[in-house]
Amino acid sequence: MAMTRREAFKNLAKGTLPILAAGCVSAVLPQVAHAEEEERLEANPKYHKTDPAKALGLLYDATRCVGCKSCMVACSQYNELTPDTRQDGLHQAPPALNSYTKNIIKLWRSEDGSDHSYFKQQCMHCIDPGCMNACMFGGLQKDEATGVVWWLGSKCVGCRYCEIACPFHIPSFQWDGFNPKIVKCELCRTPMAKDPTKKQPGCTKVCPTNAVIYGTRPELLKEAKKRIADNPGKYYQSKVFGEHEAGGTQVLYLSRVAFDKIGLPDVGEESIPSGLKYSHMAYKWLALPIALYAGMVYFAGKNFKDHSHHLAEEQKETGLRAQL
Amino acid sequence: MTRWERSVPVYGIPVLTRGFWGLCLFIAFGLVLTGYREVVGLGASVSGMSDPYAWGLWKTFNVMVLTGLGSGGFAVGIAAWVFNNKKLHSVMRVALLTSALAYWTGLAMLGVDVGRPWNFYWVIMPWQWNVSSPLLEIAVCMSLYASVPLLLENLPPIFEYIIYEFPKWRGVAETCEKLMAKVYPFIIGLAYILPMMHQSSLGALMVLGGKRVNVLWQTPCLPIIYVWAAAFLGYNCVTLCLLLAKLAWKRDLDPVVMAELNKITVYLIYAWTAFRFLDILVRGQILHVFTDGYFSFLFWVETALILGSAYVLSTEKGKKLSTMFNANLLCAVGGMIYRFSPTTLAFSAKGSSFYFPAMAEIIVCVTFIAIAVLGYLVAVKLLAILPGTNADWNKMAKYEEKVKPGIQLTGYAPADH
Amino acid sequence: MAKDANAQDTIAQSLKNAGYSRRDFLQLCTTLVATAPMGLALTEKATPAEVAKAVGKAKKPSVVWLHFQDCTGCSETLLRTSKPDVADLIINLISLDYHETLMVACGQQAEDALNSAVKDNEGKFVLVVEGSIPRKDQGIYMKLGGKPAVDVLKEVGSKAAAIIAIGSCASWGGVPSADPNPTDAVGVDSIITNKPIVNIPGCPPNPYTLLGVVLEFAVFGKLPACDDLKRPKFAYDRVIHDHCPRRAHFDAGRFAETFGSPSHREGWCLFKLGCKGPVTHAGCSTRHFNEIPDCWPIGNGSPCFGCTEKSIAFRVPLFDRVDAHGFTATPPDTYAPINSSIGKFGAGAALLVGLAGGAIGGASWAASQKLASSEETIADEAKSNPGGK
Repeated sequence: MAMTRREAFKNLAKGTLPILAAGCVSAVLPQVAHAEEEERLEANPKYHKTDPAKALGLLYDATRCVGCKSCMVACSQYNELTPDTRQDGLHQAPPALNSYTKNIIKLWRSEDGSDHSYFKQQCMHCIDPGCMNACMFGGLQKDEATGVVWWLGSKCVGCRYCEIACPFHIPSFQWDGFNPKIVKCELCRTPMAKDPTKKQPGCTKVCPTNAVIYGTRPELLKEAKKRIADNPGKYYQSKVFGEHEAGGTQVLYLSRVAFDKIGLPDVGEESIPSGLKYSHMAYKWLALPIALYAGMVYFAGKNFKDHSHHLAEEQKETGLRAQL
Repeated sequence: MTRWERSVPVYGIPVLTRGFWGLCLFIAFGLVLTGYREVVGLGASVSGMSDPYAWGLWKTFNVMVLTGLGSGGFAVGIAAWVFNNKKLHSVMRVALLTSALAYWTGLAMLGVDVGRPWNFYWVIMPWQWNVSSPLLEIAVCMSLYASVPLLLENLPPIFEYIIYEFPKWRGVAETCEKLMAKVYPFIIGLAYILPMMHQSSLGALMVLGGKRVNVLWQTPCLPIIYVWAAAFLGYNCVTLCLLLAKLAWKRDLDPVVMAELNKITVYLIYAWTAFRFLDILVRGQILHVFTDGYFSFLFWVETALILGSAYVLSTEKGKKLSTMFNANLLCAVGGMIYRFSPTTLAFSAKGSSFYFPAMAEIIVCVTFIAIAVLGYLVAVKLLAILPGTNADWNKMAKYEEKVKPGIQLTGYAPADH
Repeated sequence: MAKDANAQDTIAQSLKNAGYSRRDFLQLCTTLVATAPMGLALTEKATPAEVAKAVGKAKKPSVVWLHFQDCTGCSETLLRTSKPDVADLIINLISLDYHETLMVACGQQAEDALNSAVKDNEGKFVLVVEGSIPRKDQGIYMKLGGKPAVDVLKEVGSKAAAIIAIGSCASWGGVPSADPNPTDAVGVDSIITNKPIVNIPGCPPNPYTLLGVVLEFAVFGKLPACDDLKRPKFAYDRVIHDHCPRRAHFDAGRFAETFGSPSHREGWCLFKLGCKGPVTHAGCSTRHFNEIPDCWPIGNGSPCFGCTEKSIAFRVPLFDRVDAHGFTATPPDTYAPINSSIGKFGAGAALLVGLAGGAIGGASWAASQKLASSEETIADEAKSNPGGK
């Protein structure tokens, strides 16, 4: 029966309406997402590696740290975080980085208690971050100018793959509540943007012994190497951790005690994403999948034709409707 | 000797049994818990996940392990359609149904597991994708697979059902079926390439886990080993479903097809084990197979279950039904353990942190599995899924015609083209 | 000082004669116990009553007090006790036979007093030295009655039973020894090497430290256990940081930023203002001055300047921060460990897993049994119907 004009229009509307709706939604939502963004900073959707020569970072010298934890207090204040007092209901004493704590001072003690060293743990701001590589829709991005790795809530799905991908165990998920965030150090990107009088992150500003300092990566590397040269034998393996580790990080460490003792894992010099180079090769231009698809369609098509003939014959014989 | 010729629904047994209602009750309870999780988040009240173990049971078991089990659709399909193994055509519908249920409930579970599901809409905007992320590949591929080829492949039984039960819609159903038949190769090509891509990406996921995944599992070849394991898991699942159908509903088995399924399973497993050992050898970690304590033990448990079962299946003893059942079951358990290891069992976060699922987590996990089981039970009774003979169909037709007068299940004459 | 007719009385008798009440004596002993709960034989594990008994039985020790390059601050500190007050202290608790500031005599009378005090108690008196001794140019930069201080010290010291160097000056040189040390001022133990010496550094030290040492000597005839710098362990075995009342602020990262700032007014840690507490051995954290709680530098909002330590006082600038290197304080256990141990093992969850596993295992076993009972095999089927389609 031929379709009436009314029916035709109805069908057309039924068909195009969803597409229109999808189109509107996909046009509006990104705007909403942008507006939602707390900082009115530009999202950089390009997942590229920052120029290491300009990247900003920290240098933490464990031999200068007295474990005063001013940096933890300053971090909470700058970033407007509630101090984590869940341990005893009174003191800010988080056991590890978590959704309340972007920066923590940890203590290493030797077995016999005769030696100890402090360790400041926060995001390493890798030059080629594993977390950024892992994030599906760009929820973690690297600031083009400073190289700071920061979290963008409008793109985050809450899958926590970044936690798996980070070899330093940094991103923390807000486990409670129905609007969870990923929390980690962002070198006070937001506080410094909101208040131009803040010229450096909270932790470096308050450190009473200048154990942690702020600057560009080349400056910090130079300073670290100078300290090593001026104090031969003082620093572990006369090495700056982060110079090459995980492909290079913007947060550098000097320590008297072995790095793996104080909590910096042995990550090797390859960046984390480079582990996937074989997978990426296999998917280059989708050539392999497309070739395989073409091959399978060809053979399946041939076999399907035969099968259809066979089914049609059977159907005639048995009087039972053929099953696809 | 029974030779399977077509799919025949399970008849004579009502759909709404006590078991059905029991499952429904359990599922309802589980869904309430799921709602609770949506409100309170993913914290200690509903799950055992924490920052050191950010992935708990849901992502790793319901998605990674169970879609491995539900890989019959592509594993059996490739053998049947690409390699033209005619014997396997009759079991395709079972394989497709199990795949569909595993994937759909797995993806639903994924939706429950992510913390900010409202942002998932970016998946339909390719310009926002981070193409170097393995998880993106999985998200896109799995969503596409589950919503397009898998769905389409599972439509024919539904078309048939409509044709028989709702004569008014017969025309539409037949037209749809014809359309599908025209593009069938393209659909199934997609149905095979997409699972191969994302099952291997599931392996690539854990490559980024670095040293936290024990050396016996961590390898750049993880994608290949993962997709291969999915293949034999799919065969295990199909075989078990068929054996259970015989047990539960007295369906006759086609020995030739069963032998074929077993043969393919065995070969897949032999090749897989050889590749795995070769990989460990080439990476220089062969000593760890013996000297790594708990991890060595886990490795041997997997290998014993999988390889041992394959060996048993390849012997004469393996032709006995009970042995076949046990071997396939143990092999499936071994395969599931293998897929569960890199994310959980062989995943060591720093320090003495550990992971054990919370009660609510376990219940919700089982709920989604129960939904799949319920779907399966309903589908095999309503639709023609399980394989049988033409004689079986005629018997069924007689029964149905008695129960539902007016229905016509035999004497088909094709409608004019 | 006129020789007391009852010089050989026990302390208890002497106090009684002086009308010093038993309650006040007990209070003194309580203060002593509080000052030195450990490390001093006199007060270790003793109640004030027991201390009173021991002290009461002892004979009043004869004390000769010499001043050299001093500011008299250490004598002043002695005056800042109320129970006993200085009169009871110097007359009835000890027999202070020579003290230039407190005695009435002067001129020749003073000389005579010193000579007779030394002669009458030769080998038995305790010599307390206040102030550093200049050595440069044969010691002409300080003379006592025309004699260089070095010689006076050597003379008197050779006849003493024990020498107590009170104050940083007498212990290691103190203020006069600050750069460039023009008089080559040194402490007692640089001059006298063959007598038991106890150093009580501080600027000034707490009077009860001196009292504890003196009474210990009076009661037991020997000096308390000292460290390698001859400082009594009961008072100098810990650094200020270890017992500082503001330690909690240090541990929580609350620091006073500048003098008078709100953070300073809150009473927060003075580390950033240059407090040398972490590297200074002294008991001031728990024993404050003038018998008033919180009457001590840190309590008054002024950073400790390390007055007991030779390497710090009058050498390291007041507001310079301490190097972490020198931190000898043991960190408390309240820091986060390097490796976290997060994870809960719910008994209920374990039970569920066990039940689920058991259920599946049981069902599988039953299924395989049922299949086994049918005794079918696919080989059988194939054999029985070889001609099947």
